[in-house]
Amino acid sequence: MTPIAGSVALNLAFGFSILTVLTLFLYNKNGDERLFLTGQRLALGISFFVFLATFILAYQLVQSNFDIDYVARYTSLETPVVYKISALWAGQSGSLLFWLFILSIYTTIVILQNQQKHNSLMPWVIITLAIVQMFFLVLTNYVTNPFKPTDADFIVSNGNGLNPLLQNVTMAIHPPTLYLGYVGFSVPFGFAISAMINRDTSPLWIQSIRRWSLVAWLFLSIGIILGGWWAYRELGWGGYWAWDPVENASFMPWLTATAFVHSIIIQEKKDMLRVWNMVLIIITFTLCIFGTFLTRSGVMSSVHSFTGSSLGPIFLTFVFSIMIVSFGMMYFRRNDLRSTKKMESFTSRESGFLFNNMIFVVMCFAVFWGTLFPVFSEAIRGTKITVGPPFFNQINIPIGLILLALTGIGPLLAWRKTGKKILIRNFTFPIITGLIVAILLLIIGLRGAVVISFSLGAFVTATITTEFTRGIQARRKKFNESIITALIKMVSKNRSRYGGYVVHLGIVFMFVGFTGHAFDQEKEFSLKVGESNHVAGYNFKLIQMSETERPNHYAWISDLRVTNDEGKFVTNLHPEKRIYFHRNPDPNRRQPHSELDIYTTMNRDIYSIFSGVDSENSVAFIKIMVNPLVQWVWLGGYILVFGTIVALWPRKDQ
Amino acid sequence: MNSNKKFILMITGIITVVIFWISWVSLNPADEKAMATFVSVDELLEDNITHRTKLGGLVKDGSIVISETNHLDCVFILKEGDLELEVKYGRTRPDLFKDGAEVIVTGLYENGVFHADELQTKCASRYEGDLRNEKSYNLSEIDS
Repeated sequence: MTPIAGSVALNLAFGFSILTVLTLFLYNKNGDERLFLTGQRLALGISFFVFLATFILAYQLVQSNFDIDYVARYTSLETPVVYKISALWAGQSGSLLFWLFILSIYTTIVILQNQQKHNSLMPWVIITLAIVQMFFLVLTNYVTNPFKPTDADFIVSNGNGLNPLLQNVTMAIHPPTLYLGYVGFSVPFGFAISAMINRDTSPLWIQSIRRWSLVAWLFLSIGIILGGWWAYRELGWGGYWAWDPVENASFMPWLTATAFVHSIIIQEKKDMLRVWNMVLIIITFTLCIFGTFLTRSGVMSSVHSFTGSSLGPIFLTFVFSIMIVSFGMMYFRRNDLRSTKKMESFTSRESGFLFNNMIFVVMCFAVFWGTLFPVFSEAIRGTKITVGPPFFNQINIPIGLILLALTGIGPLLAWRKTGKKILIRNFTFPIITGLIVAILLLIIGLRGAVVISFSLGAFVTATITTEFTRGIQARRKKFNESIITALIKMVSKNRSRYGGYVVHLGIVFMFVGFTGHAFDQEKEFSLKVGESNHVAGYNFKLIQMSETERPNHYAWISDLRVTNDEGKFVTNLHPEKRIYFHRNPDPNRRQPHSELDIYTTMNRDIYSIFSGVDSENSVAFIKIMVNPLVQWVWLGGYILVFGTIVALWPRKDQ
Repeated sequence: MNSNKKFILMITGIITVVIFWISWVSLNPADEKAMATFVSVDELLEDNITHRTKLGGLVKDGSIVISETNHLDCVFILKEGDLELEVKYGRTRPDLFKDGAEVIVTGLYENGVFHADELQTKCASRYEGDLRNEKSYNLSEIDS
């Protein structure tokens, strides 16, 4: 009975979305306020039915109702409740419903928040959001329905169960965060479209979406970092980023969104870059949809063709429609989008922002090029050529280093034009710091991009430090405050600026971590109990190997004693080899899994994988990786999140 | 020259440099492992392609032979339709590598043997299949 209720809810939501769009169209024609009110309520109705459908599916998952195909596919009776709920976004149809669910939360917030505000903009904002909802409602109703019943010709007593790789707390949080980011950009996009239609050129609406964009950007950032963290901890290839199409799908909108959160500051403060901002938000939103498509349609995973899933053509049509409609609208509104002001000088904050924007977009294009290289090469030369991480690294390392440099340069430039004197005053200390670090690194024998990256990191850190100390000193002189009071007051007076600097510092930390990758070392070997092997200055001795049976798997546990070259004890590592579904009589259904163990310090991670076992001769096959500075990436992530929250924190007077 | 023209010139400059850079890397990747051509087993055998290629297929049942000495080197038969290809691989094998697994191998074809340096199994995030083929579908009485 209830599964039908879910389907009905989705149907009703679809109907409401059509009514919402029609009503608000009518309102725009004749301006009857009652129609606007009705439209708002109908829009809330869409969200209500989507919430209902999502809760019904979640409930069915928890109840293990295997009459629903989706429930049987992704959960089993043994699946812990948390992962039964997280199965909501484990599969295709569920995750599309979940996308819709988050969009509905956002839409509800926007409508409730703006009941008295932006009255001229809201009708079109709601129409835009309702159309996006409508698209996902078409998908979940008619293309890949999460409430589809199990085929009637057999009875399911237990479901498939969730892939053990996904039974992990990070993996339960990562997709929702990413989706909160992806979907979040629908709101700024809706405002942008509405502003164009209404010929609203005031910077007012820009202010109201700056916050939205930052929130979406924050979630997207957290989602990407969590994905890397999960891959690093769980997948056992020793890295956190592989330039996989699915990863790139989230990285591309992140790049354009980062450009956007920078350049809307220019429009807000200087009323410049109107066209550019419009282009950026359209591209960002399109890339979010495109990203969902890449992740969920299986285009890139199936290396053969586009035909695998019926979702492909529908998604591509939607993506192209968004672009045609949005850019077409820009063309018709080109006169309204013309900025009145012009750039005055290269050495201005404005042009710094413009450069940074261009580089972000360039990087996005480079990633796009690499991701779709197989498609392009097949179209042009007839052969499908895939590109791997070395290709992406080669292209993106120089671009990334330019971005890092701009992170330092931009904030030191003054608005409009920076005079020579100020240029010298602002840049002397940071440049000297960068040079000293570069010389020291060259002396200890490092060469190439590594030196550039570390010294740019030092340069940027120095610029941030200068900005903070200068601000604090100014306050102390003026108000006679203590350092701490001055710091707190300074930051709270200008949260977005200083929060932004903290985010930059987080980025520097992450670059330090990325650079550490150049020094990674790895070795694969086999060990009998009592034997040892040597990797990158460490000695690994297999003390013992034990076996145990746990509720849902069987495990071999190794006990590795790690000592350094001087023979000093460092740590014990216990990587495990597990077999999930180990009681299944069909050996093909048993699923081996290597649970790795990592010893972490700020300098380096010692990463151990128990890749195989020969239990007859008690031999363990071990892979060891020594990865310097990885911890800096995660620490940089925390700093980035902290900085963004500082920038977002509302002021008391708001 | 007024500042507007300067900016336009500069932006054009950046775009030119970028297009040049991306095409240059696309044509001359620094690392030979940066690119691989996706081919079918049929094309590989017929054209005797010796540059770096990527192949997809299934691991033939019972074909996996693992070295007794270091337990890393392994040989197996990759099946694509009726065609078979011997593959050598000498690194840590992914957990999901087993008889019948869907794999993608990357490497060089030499003297009738494919020397793979990358071996990928079907990825976790695409854990979708046909339920009818899932043998664990009626598992409750076994796993209790």
